[in-house]
Amino acid sequence: MNKGHAGMLFLIFVVFGILISVQFRSIVQSETGDAISIKELTEELEKERNEKALLMEQLTSIEAKREQLLKNFGETLNNEEINSLLKKRDFEYLRAGLAPVKGSGIVITLEDAPAIGELNINDYIIHDSQVNAILDELKAYGAQAISVNGERVISTTKPVCAGPTIIVNNNRYPPPYVIKAIGDPYALFDAVNSMSTVAFMRLAGIRVDIVMQDEILIDRYHPIESLDAIFDDLEVVTSEDL
Amino acid sequence: MKTFKVVSLTLVCLLLGITIAWQFNSVKTNQILAQYEKEDINELIEQLLQEKNNNENLKARLQELQREVDAFQNDENTDKQYIQELKQSVLNARIMAGLETVKGEGLVITVKSGGLIEVEDRHIEELVNELKASDVQAISVNDERIVAMSEIRNAGGYIMINARQLVPPYTIKAIGDAEKMKNSLNLLAGVLDKFEYYEFEVDIREEKNVIIPAVRDVPIDMLTPVEQ
Repeated sequence: MNKGHAGMLFLIFVVFGILISVQFRSIVQSETGDAISIKELTEELEKERNEKALLMEQLTSIEAKREQLLKNFGETLNNEEINSLLKKRDFEYLRAGLAPVKGSGIVITLEDAPAIGELNINDYIIHDSQVNAILDELKAYGAQAISVNGERVISTTKPVCAGPTIIVNNNRYPPPYVIKAIGDPYALFDAVNSMSTVAFMRLAGIRVDIVMQDEILIDRYHPIESLDAIFDDLEVVTSEDL
Repeated sequence: MKTFKVVSLTLVCLLLGITIAWQFNSVKTNQILAQYEKEDINELIEQLLQEKNNNENLKARLQELQREVDAFQNDENTDKQYIQELKQSVLNARIMAGLETVKGEGLVITVKSGGLIEVEDRHIEELVNELKASDVQAISVNDERIVAMSEIRNAGGYIMINARQLVPPYTIKAIGDAEKMKNSLNLLAGVLDKFEYYEFEVDIREEKNVIIPAVRDVPIDMLTPVEQ
């Protein structure tokens, strides 16, 4: 073996050695550390979600119990003032979104495009702005009650935040996104169906199903704080006599 | 012998070339993967904090309700207390629906066009959305209260809210945590940066007594209550 060949071989093996160590480090880096905490975080999140489901159940049952006690109390006392207040309260709950309601309207189902074509990749995904534009359209055409994935839209509902999941009233839901609206079904259908936003979404293959229905059920808002706490910065200026 | 050397060297060099290419790709993908995982972690932590916060609130609410139920069951409430509680829940529901004129600390923001670009529905909507996202408790635009079913849209040079035509300058009032609101409006490339780019004239005042009027009506003629 002459010197030239030996030198070249030496170089080649040096490069090989470096390559192997770089590769090894890169693999180690991507597999340890982060992977462990992702698993832990997911488990912890799962735990919190299960707890939440349990707490929500308890909340519903205790609210029902309280409601029953209030009604019983009113009946036994048979007080005129109390009975009229109860009626008034039911009416105001209806207007505030604190009572479950039904009526005719439309149901819109949105789901990301199943395949990506030649448009920009972002065009195949549902965006916040699109969901919010649809909500605004529904409101403009006289919707009287709206829910997104079962969450009632109320006066303090933040603009919807859509991504891999949708956040409504601080709760997260996986797709498909389902928007229910009670109002004139024909007016709502035509309004949403003819939106340019919807046309564009459909062009990209995003699923936008709009169905008119005679009876849509929309749940009430479930406050997880007392209303006093939610509106603690507000002082009532004028109020009709109660 | 010489041929063998040449062939083996060629082979080794070829192998080296392939390895370098493969190596380059693999390191790049690993980096991308690590990046994704980092994003995932951020997202997960955010979700976890939100759920924890929700659960804390839920627990507090449950305790509160339990105390009320106990009070009822032990007959601690008198007629008067009962009537008082009912009145309060009627009032709270009316506040929530936007049917009461309310007062509180907050911001008063005035926006008007300062150049070629007119202020349109989407600009006002973006501002209102940003305020909503920073936990405001009441908002109005030119004294039109923003309620659950309020729309914000353009109609021939005007902005329509609650089916009313509004003309500039637009005055947005919001009751809530003024610092929080200002922070989110002042974000880099946030609403105010955009407004500056459009050459809008914007005035933001912090006020102790912001008064936000009630909405005229909340129509519910198409809603049928459902027994719970």
